[in-house]
Amino acid sequence: MGFTATVGGRAVACGEEQPILDAFLRAGVWMPNSCNQGTCGTCKLRVVSGEVDHHDSPADTLTDDERAAGLALACQARLCSDAVVESTAAAGGRTTHPLRDLVATVLDVEEIARETLRLRLDLPEPIAFDPGQYVELVVPGTGERRQYSLANTAGEDKVLELHIRLVPTGVATEGWIFGGLAAGDRVEITGPLGDFVLPTEDDGGPMVLIGGGTGLAPLLGLARTVLARDPQREVLLYHGVRGASDLYALDLLTELAGAHPRFRFVPVLSHEPPPDGREHRTGFPTDHFVDDVASARGWSGWLCGPPAMVEAGVKAFKRRRMAPRMIHREKFTPADAAS
Amino acid sequence: MTTTSENTTTPDLSWIDDITMTELERNPYKAYERLRAEAPLAYVPVLGSYVASTAEICREVATSPDFEAVITPAGGRTFGHPAIIGVNGDVHADLRGMVEPALQPVEVDRYVDDLVRPIARRYLEQFEDDGRAELVSQYCEPVSVRSLGDLLGLRDVESDTLRDWFAKLSRSFTNAAMTENGEFANPAGFDEGDQAKAEIQAAVDPLIDKWIVEPDDSAISRWLHDGMPPGRTRERSYIYPTIYVYLLGAMQEPGHGMASTLVGLFSEPDQMEQVVDDAQLIPRAISEGMRWTSPIWSATARISTGPVTVAGVDLPAGTPVILSYGAANHDTDVYEAPTRFDLHRPPLPHLAFGAGNHACAGIYYANHVMRIALEELFETIPVLERDTSARSEFWGWGFRGPTSLNVTWEV
Ligand SMILES: Cc1cc2nc3c(=O)[nH]c(=O)nc-3n(C[C@H](O)[C@H](O)[C@H](O)COP(=O)(O)OP(=O)(O)OC[C@H]3O[C@@H](n4cnc5c(N)ncnc54)[C@H](O)[C@@H]3O)c2cc1C
Ligand code: HEM
Ligand code: FES
Repeated sequence: MGFTATVGGRAVACGEEQPILDAFLRAGVWMPNSCNQGTCGTCKLRVVSGEVDHHDSPADTLTDDERAAGLALACQARLCSDAVVESTAAAGGRTTHPLRDLVATVLDVEEIARETLRLRLDLPEPIAFDPGQYVELVVPGTGERRQYSLANTAGEDKVLELHIRLVPTGVATEGWIFGGLAAGDRVEITGPLGDFVLPTEDDGGPMVLIGGGTGLAPLLGLARTVLARDPQREVLLYHGVRGASDLYALDLLTELAGAHPRFRFVPVLSHEPPPDGREHRTGFPTDHFVDDVASARGWSGWLCGPPAMVEAGVKAFKRRRMAPRMIHREKFTPADAAS
Repeated sequence: MTTTSENTTTPDLSWIDDITMTELERNPYKAYERLRAEAPLAYVPVLGSYVASTAEICREVATSPDFEAVITPAGGRTFGHPAIIGVNGDVHADLRGMVEPALQPVEVDRYVDDLVRPIARRYLEQFEDDGRAELVSQYCEPVSVRSLGDLLGLRDVESDTLRDWFAKLSRSFTNAAMTENGEFANPAGFDEGDQAKAEIQAAVDPLIDKWIVEPDDSAISRWLHDGMPPGRTRERSYIYPTIYVYLLGAMQEPGHGMASTLVGLFSEPDQMEQVVDDAQLIPRAISEGMRWTSPIWSATARISTGPVTVAGVDLPAGTPVILSYGAANHDTDVYEAPTRFDLHRPPLPHLAFGAGNHACAGIYYANHVMRIALEELFETIPVLERDTSARSEFWGWGFRGPTSLNVTWEV
């Protein structure tokens, strides 16, 4: 007999006489702890729901006020019911928008660059999300789901805009979206998902955003959001692509640059030389960042696209001494990457 | 476990007689590995004492009602009486009651960030643009001593002085070698401890004089006044031994702990990267660092209050047993491949902070000091590389940690 404690989505069975900490550690779930005798307070956790027996928790380590506030010592407390707990170290997390399942209607599909489509989905009702988040699309007749980032700002909550790049042989892209998906078709979506979002307490510091290919999508939502909040903010946006014909959203970006003196847009071509008469940078955007910015202390960084590019970006940002907690990443990991 | 005249398979333990202090201080793990296997509770002549080397026996002795605390001879010679680590009953209760208010979690939560973070930043500012640093002397030790120094009320004592004091007290405290007659083998080894204590008294006496008439919020001022009838204070001779406990262990060990955790992380570059990228992992890394190289490796002891049998060994009343927590934390019955630093090993409890009613009083505070120091370090210099041209060596048996840690980064 016993009860279940859930922490961060993991459920752990606890015996009736078993301290919660003991059950967690045995299940391989880390929880800060030191003395295991109720005296140091390191194992303090918050009981979000459910009942616990504080057992031998000393009043010095766990005051009455703390008990009343739902805190418990994991090394002492036993469960009296199923419970949801969270580590106090990780407490104070942000609130999330409710996850929804909706059926959207395709408004239009437009080719905006080489092998790249812009898909606009009309929603039956607005949904709440943070710019930078993504939605999952159900690929009809396959049971497969694929993630696509939102290029929208939070106010654009009725028509979702996705940028989708063709993957040869791909179930979702070649087999469906590039294979005839058209205006009026119905699409099942789930969202919003992901933590590629602005921090609740945005300090307004300089930002660098680097997108690879369609990794530009969420950066457009993020950049437009912060520039609307503060038109003077320093925002540096790199778009890494193979060749000039992969570039898109140029009108929007030119317009943003015109209206915001401290916004800079830098396209970088990795594989094909710039077309005659154009002066594009070549190479990798992460290398250009290292050359362009001597110190990124106090900056935040946003990386989205192929996993290798994101990893290279993390290294580049850290070389320029950006604080790791200010580095945000969204990897377009293929669905079969784990297998 | 003694050798007998019958032809039994009792292992030949005469090698234990040959253990030297130098060997233990350089690398105690080899001798202790063998002790755990062959004689987990053994009399070690050079220490003039029984030694517990497994997790089970250390925990048993530390929490047993048949034992109470005792200070090791070299520790007692260094600190004098009544030091909190070597007393029992009412005196221990009074000293715990004296030190605990400032170390309670609720209280620590209130002040620790404001205390430690600015100190960590200040030391980082001094070298962050240099591209290289020796982290033990430029960061780990200074952050540790400055934080506790300010908490205690020793704001005007330079960090380098506090570092010098703990080093001298530490060597004196662990000047443990004994002769066969039960005398100190190196009496001159206590001189530097005596010198440090003279300096400490010269600096602290005037402060105590002041705090007696003008109490303030500093910890030592509160030690003088808390729980005393109005107009009376604790005698300074009564609190000095515990001041020395602080000026040694509480000053030195958070620095040891940070440095060991860093060396451990450098030995596993993937884990270093994970921890730098996700500061939430820092407490877990510190916990593993404490297990991997326990700062208070073998410095406290217990003594039997009556005849008792431990691990099959009959001990008469009044037998001291040294608790080698650093060895217990490498016990292969508990930890797989214990010599490896592994952030992801099953997170079992360790004994780096001791056990029983004499367990470390500063666990919560120390863990937060180390956490904040590493958070600030990784935040400010996220691309630390170990300078492999300079070797980092660990030293110590009583207290253990890296003596230096050279790092470089791009500027
Ligand atoms: C959080 C998240 C957000 C995403 N946002 C977007 C987005 O905004 N726009 C967008 O275009 N994509 C995005 N993706 C990728 C997208 O979800 C699909 O993985 C992608 O469209 C391929 O799906 P598919 O079914 O066509 O290919 P699959 O059938 O899954 O793959 C076919 C084959 O191609 C390989 N493969 C898949 N992707 C790639 C690739 N990029 N490069 C090389 N080989 C590949 C697979 O390993 C497999 O062998 C995102 C992914 C994640 C995880
Ligand atoms: C990483 C840093 C530290 C480690 C690893 C550590 C470890 C220990 C250990 C092993 C003991 C002996 C326990 C026993 O005998 O069972 C101890 C005792 C003690 N520690 Fe710590 N300690 C650290 C930091 C501190 C700090 C910063 C303080 C105070 C601010 C502190 C205060 C004490 C006290 C007062 C005792 C004596 C407790 C008693 O005998 O009742 N420690 N510590
Ligand atoms: S681990 Fe020390 S109070 Fe729980």
